[in-house]
Amino acid sequence: MATTDGTLALGPGVDAPVRPMGVFARPGSTPGWRGWITTVDHKRIGIMYGAAALFFFLIGGVEALLIRLQLAAPEGKVLSADLYNQVYTMHGTTMIFLVVMPIGASFMNYLLPLQVGARDVAFPRMNALSFWVFLAGGIVLNSAWLLGGGADGGWFNYAPNNGVMFSPTHGIDFWNMGLIITGISSLVGAVNLIVTVLNLRAPGMTLMRMPVFVWMSLVTQFMLLFAIPVLTSAQFLLLFDRLFGARFFDVSQGADPLLWQHLFWIFGHPEVYIMILPAFGLISEMIPVFARKPIFGYPFMVFSGIAIGFMGWGVWAHHMFASGMGPISVAAFSVATMFIAVPTGVKILNWLATMWGGKLRFDTPLLYSVGLVTMFTIGGLSGVTHAVSPADTQQTDTYYIVAHFHYVLFGGALFGFVGGWYFWWPKVFGYKLSEFHGKVNFWILMVGFNLTFGPMHILGLQGMPRRTYTYRDNYGFNFWNLVATIGAVIIGISFLYFFWIIWKSWKDAKAANAVLSGDPWDARGLEWMIPCPAPAHNFDVTPTVTRLDDFWHRKYAEDESGRLIRVAETADVSMKGDGTGVHLPSPSYWPIVLASGLPFIGWGLIFNLWFCLLGGLIVITGIYGWVMEPADDPEAGHGHEDDHPSDSDDSSAAAEVAAPEEAALVD
Amino acid sequence: MIGKARSPLARIVPLALGIVVFAAGCASNAPQDTLDPAGPQAKQIDNLIMPVFGVAGIVFVLILGGAVWVGLKFKAKDDDDFNEFPDQVHGHFALEIGWTIVPAVILALVGIFTVITIFDLAKKPADAITVEVTGQQWWWQYRYDLNNDGSFDEIVTANDLVIPTGRNIALRIRSNDVIHSWWAPRLAGKMDAVPGRTHPLTIKAPEAGEYIGQCAEFCGLSHAEMRIKVVAVSPEEFDAWAEAQQAPVENPTDEAAIEGWKIFAGTCTSCHTVRGMNDPGAVEGDAGPETSTTPFEYPEAKNQLANKLARQLDQGTGLPDLTHFMSRSTFAGAKFDLRKNTDACNALGLNWATTDDGLAKCLNRADLEAWLRDAPSMKAMHPGETMAPDSRGMPNFDLTEEQIDQLVAYLITLK
Repeated sequence: MATTDGTLALGPGVDAPVRPMGVFARPGSTPGWRGWITTVDHKRIGIMYGAAALFFFLIGGVEALLIRLQLAAPEGKVLSADLYNQVYTMHGTTMIFLVVMPIGASFMNYLLPLQVGARDVAFPRMNALSFWVFLAGGIVLNSAWLLGGGADGGWFNYAPNNGVMFSPTHGIDFWNMGLIITGISSLVGAVNLIVTVLNLRAPGMTLMRMPVFVWMSLVTQFMLLFAIPVLTSAQFLLLFDRLFGARFFDVSQGADPLLWQHLFWIFGHPEVYIMILPAFGLISEMIPVFARKPIFGYPFMVFSGIAIGFMGWGVWAHHMFASGMGPISVAAFSVATMFIAVPTGVKILNWLATMWGGKLRFDTPLLYSVGLVTMFTIGGLSGVTHAVSPADTQQTDTYYIVAHFHYVLFGGALFGFVGGWYFWWPKVFGYKLSEFHGKVNFWILMVGFNLTFGPMHILGLQGMPRRTYTYRDNYGFNFWNLVATIGAVIIGISFLYFFWIIWKSWKDAKAANAVLSGDPWDARGLEWMIPCPAPAHNFDVTPTVTRLDDFWHRKYAEDESGRLIRVAETADVSMKGDGTGVHLPSPSYWPIVLASGLPFIGWGLIFNLWFCLLGGLIVITGIYGWVMEPADDPEAGHGHEDDHPSDSDDSSAAAEVAAPEEAALVD
Repeated sequence: MIGKARSPLARIVPLALGIVVFAAGCASNAPQDTLDPAGPQAKQIDNLIMPVFGVAGIVFVLILGGAVWVGLKFKAKDDDDFNEFPDQVHGHFALEIGWTIVPAVILALVGIFTVITIFDLAKKPADAITVEVTGQQWWWQYRYDLNNDGSFDEIVTANDLVIPTGRNIALRIRSNDVIHSWWAPRLAGKMDAVPGRTHPLTIKAPEAGEYIGQCAEFCGLSHAEMRIKVVAVSPEEFDAWAEAQQAPVENPTDEAAIEGWKIFAGTCTSCHTVRGMNDPGAVEGDAGPETSTTPFEYPEAKNQLANKLARQLDQGTGLPDLTHFMSRSTFAGAKFDLRKNTDACNALGLNWATTDDGLAKCLNRADLEAWLRDAPSMKAMHPGETMAPDSRGMPNFDLTEEQIDQLVAYLITLK
């Protein structure tokens, strides 16, 4: 870090260019809502990712309930065919791109710097940018509802049905623009988090001492880095087809519509692992805490995650077994798909082995973790039955598939996330969510989930196709559809209950006015070394790591007989959160300014190119301001100085904890 | 503890599985049930997947039962001292290698049978009748090449795919617009209909009867109502049917039917073909028959794109060919019954409309008239203006009730 010393610290007598070229001053620590929109703090950004995702989850949830109400009985009349197609398309798109992915991003943003012992992510302003760009993309996508109707081609949006001729409304254009924009967000975030994990780990934290969640996140971000550009490329082809009369997917001009499918699924299959791996990482952190045992087979957990990361690229065409690729391709992808079940199976067994012989404390996070293990297993097993491609020609495009991927993404990813919320909530907000209500809620959700998606296995095998707005009375579909709808209502209630639990727990904590210890679960990761809620500067002193689960081993060590005994009180090995002289990156207006131009470009491409000019100007202004912005504003003081009066003259402290963004720039 | 925890599980889980399989497999009145295969292709798939379901079921019981068992067995007691730690096991290399390899071996075995089945199902059938299947928004057209000589016979139907029992049928699946998927679950797995491509699928119906299916790839507005009905009949009955299909229609003689014929020629023939239909205007003047066998073409100015597509795909037709309309049991993409769906009427089979009695008893006149009155209210479509570039589906022609009666009178002559 010494190399950054001279470069960053402005020597005496040097005037910092506070307002270069008449652009705004860089804001200092700002209270209230301004503090949130200018923040570059990975923790606040993580919280905003989570909050935005929950908001979109409400939208996606309402869409899901509309679908289930329409299908509660045969010949449903809740939605028209047209509206149903929009609602199911937007439900899938919203849940994938605006809920599951950003909740993963929320955890990764909040936890990665803490778990690797860093001050912040490598590029804090880019981190803010990726959040605001994500939000902009979500707004563009959903603005379709107000501007003429949502996309109606399915989240997979196959050509040529996605062309203007077959989908003449602008819904698919909104879909296209929204996802191109969220794609930018994912790419920015991926670069940022990869650099953070690779470069900003605390001293001593070798790769094989990283928590499993950090590993899974790293794999996820690499997959994003390579998967998103494929989707964006396909979307640009579609954008030119739809808006500028290009002919990439025009069959009459010799196009092969399977091009879209290959491009989409080369993105789309890694995407599945992008959604599930963060949740795998989360429960790999939680299960050992509540089993009071280390994760079983850490290297196997890591390498199976990496294996999934690589093998995930070789199985995309299993989404296309009925598309007429020919027997050789089908056979190859069939076999490849079977083997990707192996590393996933290893994980399941390792989680069970972690629990085996443990002293299981069934707090809410463990309940959800076991929920993930069991529900994901069901999804994984039905996944193996799809890999048998001749059988998949019976299963694909039926409700059997709908059941499968909801067991994977809801029973898998979302259960892990909800468990993670219970587990890390005290670290983020300083109070625990109610254990009693959490457990009750778990069982309600578990029942609702299985009532909704369990029967869909049966419906699919009975031959009910997906994406159909109606079904007939005498096809044997009535009973299980009604059950599924009842289940969906229960899921809806359980999430309303969850929101109530958040409110209730907050109110109780406020009334009790107790200070929570930094380590309420007696946990293992570095993030539990610091107080709850985490202070703005994370660690008072960058911790030095000597082994996996370093914090745990500061508390406990094995005696001669191999028994674990406490060697230090938690408070003695924890940080007080009173770091002084900590220099944090200053907040910035420019990420949100830059991001706010993107929707105008999107809307402009759809409605009027002049809006693009406006949006482009905003983006250019944002970039210009960003570049010209001083590293920080000495007059305004440093960010978060209300929490931690910083002493920027203390060059040794500043050097030790130099803002990662600046350090990275210099490096 | 162990015995207690395991024995209810050992009962409950297989029971639950049994219920699922029972509910799915034995549901009465589930005409699209994949677990009730009829054709050899569907049976082959079923034979392949059933053992896999079995293995998956065992793994399901082991893992979920194991998870519950571990949860109960190792659950901390309320009075446990959390500073007393369990054994700190970090892993077990041999065990982990074991549970990497064992699933891999099981999956490799499944893979071998899968690959064999893939290539088996892809074999070109010998001695097959070739049927070209064309999906379009939102109905299926079938063209027949009975002797498999590479040229089509003059049999063009819609909705109902009539096949002889006991004979391989080589479907050549194509699309006229977007991607569809042809799927009759009890006969075979689905195969996508992709514009610009032709995909093979073999089916065979061992027994006479109807095999129900529907489009399985999302294809737009009325995807849910793009239905499939395979009608398997005895070879003799099939031959008779095929011969009748190739005969030209007879001109109507009934007065109302002649009026309907005129309406049809003036309004409907811009999209629908009736092969061998004489120009009704020529009847009175006896100017000699003028057959209208020209394949349908969208007027150039109105739909260049679709025209190119139609030519390129050599479809020969635009909307359902109605030549022998009354030999079918459904209309409008098989959304509606043309022949009333009653046991008595179904028993009449393909020839239900050949007798006046059958016609009177079994014609679903209400839906047919409603369709002619206002088709867009009967099925979600994009009718647009007639043959506008983006129009798909039948518009409302504002016919009077009298005209509708006359049209029906004409249509029932198309036997």
